[in-house]
Formats: sequence, C-alpha cells, structure tokens
Amino acid sequence: MARTPPTAPTRPSKYVDFLLYAGAAVSYITLSIFNKWLLDWIVGPLWLVAWVWGLPALWNLVRGRPVRPQRGPRPEASDP
Amino acid sequence: MSWAAHQFEVYAVEAHLPKKMQGQISWFAIFFGDFTPDFLAKFWVYGITIGGVHYGATKPYQWHRGWPGMGISHTLFFGALVCFGIWAWKHNRAWTIGYLLGFAAHVLTDVNDSIGTMLLFPFSTLNWSLHTWAYAATVSGGKYLDAAAYYSSFGFMMDLFWLIVVLASWRVLTREFWRTQVVPADPHVWSWLGQWLDDRGLLALYRGVFFYGVCRMIAWTTWAHVVAEPVINGVKHHGYPWDLSWTGPWWVRRVTLPQVTPWIVLPIALFLLVCVYFVAMTLWERMAPVPGTSRASASRNERR
Repeated sequence: MARTPPTAPTRPSKYVDFLLYAGAAVSYITLSIFNKWLLDWIVGPLWLVAWVWGLPALWNLVRGRPVRPQRGPRPEASDP
Repeated sequence: MSWAAHQFEVYAVEAHLPKKMQGQISWFAIFFGDFTPDFLAKFWVYGITIGGVHYGATKPYQWHRGWPGMGISHTLFFGALVCFGIWAWKHNRAWTIGYLLGFAAHVLTDVNDSIGTMLLFPFSTLNWSLHTWAYAATVSGGKYLDAAAYYSSFGFMMDLFWLIVVLASWRVLTREFWRTQVVPADPHVWSWLGQWLDDRGLLALYRGVFFYGVCRMIAWTTWAHVVAEPVINGVKHHGYPWDLSWTGPWWVRRVTLPQVTPWIVLPIALFLLVCVYFVAMTLWERMAPVPGTSRASASRNERR
C-alpha cells in the first residue's frame, strides 16, 4: 500500500483559537462587570494569555506533552 | 481622561507608522510611552482607602494634570526628557522613537476632557482643553463615578473612534503582522518571552492590550447603563443617563484648571502632532547606526 505524503506542519487550529479568544472575552467581561478590580491593565492582558496559552498548555500537561516551547533560532534584529 | 482609547492608540500608532519605520519601531516602547503618564499620575488620583481612611489626592484633577502636581507627566516636555534618557542609556532608536510616539498620542488625546494637559510646559503652566467631555475623577465618586461619566458622554465616542481606527487597520492584529512587523523590531524581548510562551501565547500577549481595551469598554459601559442604579438630584435612575453633548454629562460637576481659550486648542494640538511626526522622522534618520563605527560600539549595539 502506498504511503500518503506527510501533511503540512501542524499549527494551532483557527477554530480552537477563536473559541479560546471568545471564551476569554466572555468570561472576563462577565466577571469584571461585577468585580471591578479585574479591570486592571495587568489582569486584562494576562487573562487573555491565561486562556489562549494557559488552557492549551494545561491540556498538554495533562496529556504528558512538553509545555515549554521547542523552537529554533529567532529572527535577527533589523535595527541595533 | 481617556480610558480604552489609550489601549487602542498603541495599535493605531503601530499600524500607521511612517513607511521607513515599519517593522523597526518597538511595539513595547509605544505601549510604555502611552502608558507612562497615567502610570505616574493616576494611582493617587483615586487613592486607596485603608481602615476607613482615604489616602489620595485632595484635588484629583489638580494632581493629575495641574501644576503643581503630576500634570508634568502629561506634557510633551516630560516625554522628550524620557526619550532623551532612553537614547542616552541604550542608543536604541526603535525604543526612543516608539516611546515618543506612544507618549505624544496619550498627551494629545487627553486634551479632550475638561482639564486637558499642559501642552506648552515648561513655557506655560496653562492647560489646553477642548472640553469635549467632563473630567469626573473626584474623591467622593472615585473610579466608579469617573467611569460612569466617561462612558455616558463623548468619552465613549472617543473610545469608539479609536476602536474603529484599529479595526479599520485590522491587519495590525493578525499573526502575520505580528510575525513580520512587530517581532523583528524587538527580537530580543520576544525571544526572551519565548522561553516560556509558544507563538500562540506570545501573540495573545501582543493582542492582550487590545483585548483589555475592548473588554473594559464593554464592561464599564454595561455596568454604567444596565447594572448601576444611581441617585441623581434625588431621583433614582436605572443606569446613568447618556449625555452625548459637548462637555457632558450634565449630572457631574465639570472641573477645570487655569487654561487657554478652547478655540486655539485644536489647531495647536494638530500642529504639535505634525511637529512630533517630523521630529520623529528627523531623529529616525539621525539616530541611524553609522557605518564604520568602532568595533566596541558595533559590538555594543549588536548586543542590544
């Protein structure tokens, strides 16, 4: 039986991303209407990171996959 | 004061950089430039209450934008001083010019409320205000009344305007833009953050300020007009009344500081905006790395 060609490198599904962003927005707005201390310039951005990065990371942790990113070299600076 | 407008400005500036600066200005510098004035001044405006005792400014408007007070934090002069400090310390034009643009955006936007900013400090301590909406931070009302007044007046429209500006430049929020324009301008910071976060997390961090702006705008507006039940002039209301008229809303006392006539504010503010643009363009060229600099200097720049 002929082997199928390898698929393109996997990247985060747009559908999952949309759900994560929407979940972050709905939960943050709903909670912060009644808990104003959440409307803070540190909490707000970190809330999004916690949802969009933290939840998938937690999922990976549960499945025994690495959480910390495995990456190659970053792009070089365009300006000193 | 402006609320979510300051979050949206960061992306508006990033999206509308002059062509020769695109992909080379630090997004973090724009953010910190836009953020610095309120970081220095706003905490004491609302103050804190511990054990029933309130600690904070007795005249919030004087402290926030006046002289004497922390009004200097909302002046182009102060922004220029910090930029000078950044350049003297790091010799990094991506951060120096980015900070300047973010800072100028904040100072010029804040001329809209009824106390405005000291645009020509230190040459003049008069405030420049368009009186588009009432400045409403008071000791008794605190942050809640301030938010309610802002999101019932033209302040809401100001946030909406900046939101539309960003949405009209929606590419600034895309993964592609972040990867090709934002990361290359700040490779070391993003690389450092990349030790812990993958691309999805880094992108969320980049979009986080926009997210916060949208959410706080929706949350405060919903609270002010759906949840709150204020008593105004002895009458209980279900939600604070909207008042989209100049200097509104009518139900807060509009405070002012010694200021110039409002008629000259808009042309001068626009003139200063053009000046900032040309100063940034000129400095960008002059701050360019000189070919053939000493080996030590080149090495130092490389590390940055």
